[in-house]
Amino acid sequence: MSKKLKRIVDELKELESLTLQCMKCGVCQSVCPLYQKDFFEPSVARGKISLIEALYQGRIESVPGVIKYLDYCILCGRCKRFCPSSVNIDEIFVRAKGILREIDELPFYQKALLKSLIESADFLTNFQPVISVGMKLVSKSAGESGLRTVKFPIKKSVAPVSPKSFNAIFGGLNRAESEKMRVIFYPGCAISYIFVEWGEAVVGVLNHFGVSVYVPEKNRCCGIPAATMGEIDMYKKMAKLNHDWFSSIDDAEYVITACPTCGYGLFDLGVRVAGLESSKKHMDIMVFLKEILNVKLNKKTKGRSTLHIPCHYEHEYDKTLIGELSELNGEFEPLENQSCCGFGGTFSLKHSGDSKEVGAAKMDEVKSKGFEKLYSPCPGCVMQLSELALDRGVDVKVEHPVMDFYRLIKEGGA
Amino acid sequence: MVRKRRLKKLFSKIVGESRCWIEEEVCASYSYDAYPEKPVLPDIVVMPTHTEQIGEIIDLCNRLEIPLTVRGSGTNLSGGTVPVKGGCVMLTTALNRILEINKDDMYARVEPGVITQNLANAVEREGLLYPPDPASMKVSTIGGNVAENSGGLRALKYGVTDRYVMQVKFYDAFSNLVKSGGIPVKLVTGFNLKGLMISSEGLLGVISEVMLKLVPPPQARKTMLVFFDDVLDASRVVSEIIINRILPATLEIMDNFTIKTVEKFHHIGLPTDKGALLLIEVDGHPAAVEDEYVQVEKICRKYGGDVHIAKKQEDRDKLWQARRDTLSSLAMLKPTLILEDATVPRSRVPDMIKVIQDVAKKYNLLIGTFGHAGDGNLHPTILTDRRDEEEMKRVSEAIDEIFERTLDLGGTLSGEHGVGIAKKKYMEKEVGRGTLLFYERLKKGLDPKGIFNPGKVI
Repeated sequence: MSKKLKRIVDELKELESLTLQCMKCGVCQSVCPLYQKDFFEPSVARGKISLIEALYQGRIESVPGVIKYLDYCILCGRCKRFCPSSVNIDEIFVRAKGILREIDELPFYQKALLKSLIESADFLTNFQPVISVGMKLVSKSAGESGLRTVKFPIKKSVAPVSPKSFNAIFGGLNRAESEKMRVIFYPGCAISYIFVEWGEAVVGVLNHFGVSVYVPEKNRCCGIPAATMGEIDMYKKMAKLNHDWFSSIDDAEYVITACPTCGYGLFDLGVRVAGLESSKKHMDIMVFLKEILNVKLNKKTKGRSTLHIPCHYEHEYDKTLIGELSELNGEFEPLENQSCCGFGGTFSLKHSGDSKEVGAAKMDEVKSKGFEKLYSPCPGCVMQLSELALDRGVDVKVEHPVMDFYRLIKEGGA
Repeated sequence: MVRKRRLKKLFSKIVGESRCWIEEEVCASYSYDAYPEKPVLPDIVVMPTHTEQIGEIIDLCNRLEIPLTVRGSGTNLSGGTVPVKGGCVMLTTALNRILEINKDDMYARVEPGVITQNLANAVEREGLLYPPDPASMKVSTIGGNVAENSGGLRALKYGVTDRYVMQVKFYDAFSNLVKSGGIPVKLVTGFNLKGLMISSEGLLGVISEVMLKLVPPPQARKTMLVFFDDVLDASRVVSEIIINRILPATLEIMDNFTIKTVEKFHHIGLPTDKGALLLIEVDGHPAAVEDEYVQVEKICRKYGGDVHIAKKQEDRDKLWQARRDTLSSLAMLKPTLILEDATVPRSRVPDMIKVIQDVAKKYNLLIGTFGHAGDGNLHPTILTDRRDEEEMKRVSEAIDEIFERTLDLGGTLSGEHGVGIAKKKYMEKEVGRGTLLFYERLKKGLDPKGIFNPGKVI
């Protein structure tokens, strides 16, 4: 065993108190979207935890082999949610990847890209107009969906990058007319650069109900893409920078997000892995509207709608969300298929085929039941589901429910 | 590695290159099951997609003289799917088709890798019931259920897997396809080989198809949760219910330690000062259900039971919650959980509870007791830390004593988890030398090269 491997084995062994909690019952198989597709043990949490154990107990030595399967995970968190022993599976995976990356480093270009995209808030802001134009040049419009299809390096249909960022328009304090309270809205990368109109809707709805909204002048990534690629230090740094900014604002109690994965990265995994303590309460925009503002609409949207609950949504509020959408749309009906959309951020790039296969059944249900609108309060899920709809020829509009809230409010619906 | 590459080449010809693996990270993923024992890596893992490939895989293993361990979801609690002598692990997970659900003759025909829950759901949609409900049914496979004769929570009234097996098709060690049983309710042609395959733990053949009996679901049911001050009173209620000719579908017990642990982690409002609780469910014709419920309630009250009944479906879920949360709560208490399934005649449940209490005290161990009191299948659950060598030694002694006293009470080493590697050393004491010799000769005749799951049971 090489010296480097020996050190890694010692570091992995520190995860033992976490891995030991896994009693190998295998219940994760029943909820893992990848296992349900592959029926293959290395796809599922129990298998991956066993591989980490096999490494530090010296039964195997292949670090790239273990990384391969740790990377083959959407981080949807179902295994953890349904684990009878409450094993901290996401924490084990992210920490183990961080340790293993010491020996099996990311290819230089991936690391450089990650660094410039994530660590430098200026990079994207400065290059945003260029990217926006560039994308128009290399991609083709994919019809009414609003997506654009690129063919290289993989065929992918993506939402276009906006020419001006959300932060550039809304950065600073957005005052409500008759101010009741102040909150921070953390938009995250997707809303900052792509779904700018969602950000506008969040600010608009909150302002309407007397809530003034702080928006960062520059968006700083929540760090999740770095965590999933095993760059733990980068992740911790980003999470801390964001929390420092939250703490610098005294007169806001809540941090609102409209991307559950950002919320998870900053407030859940962030607290456990990055060891941060938050000075603020975190809440998803939809939950905030119901639980804190107790918003009641007096108008309803038309057409049949349904909902995909994002994996990183705070699931204790699933019922709240379903209730809200039932009030928003008279013909609302939740989806039977409660599985993952398959996106998983970097997963959808590295394992494009698997990613689409996971979400396919979901889109087929949308098609067979003829829903006209598919709500999902998460930019990642919306990107994935929109692309799946396009691929599979399903005529459904996919968007964040806050958009319809905002439309109704503008029409005088609340 | 050269040898492994050669193996891969040979097996690839049967299942295709993308369905067999020799990489150590894949082999390590099939080196364990749910029994906490040292993992052993196989040399190759194969995943057939058609049952005809099973015969070819067996033939190849025989020619190469390498062990063949068949594995479904790997939920075995006695180490039955650990390839202790290396060789080939054959997965049944891609053989997961439900071939037929027949409502006229009330049976289902399935491949061995069908998940028990998926079958139960498919059958329910047809308005029928497949009763065996092992706790792992969300992940366990039918092939594994038959090979281990899995039980469950409804066993007291509905019996375990063997009651539902109408036909088994399997490949023997000479790659011949063997068929036993069929659709007729009465069928006595030939040896009862399907009986031989039930509980065979992968030692005698490889199952390729199973036909299972289905039944009409009960029209009504009534659920109650009853608390007792003393665990012995609860166990006496169990005996008295059965003496009164009542067969509840479910009759589960939890001791004070288990109640406290569930409450600690799940806060569902259980009274932590109570000595034990019973979860009782009677089902069947509405009139019979009502009648049995009244009798059960009377017996419970006679022993000071505090009876709570479920009026609606949500109430039923609430009452079941404690039982569903049991294992996970116990698992959170300590790093290692050893789940035993020593089983006694149901009239001896009070004695068995006493035995477990004594053993916990004598060896200074944390043991939670819960389980299927109605069929005598308790689950003494030892909570420990496998890194603590001194404590593990006491655990091992405690298990020895539990087994010994179980046999003294006329019980068995295993009610539903199987022998595997876990209980091998105790077998002679339960079945006797003559029986073991018979097993050995049977095995030698049917599998002369000993390729099927070596190192288990005998």
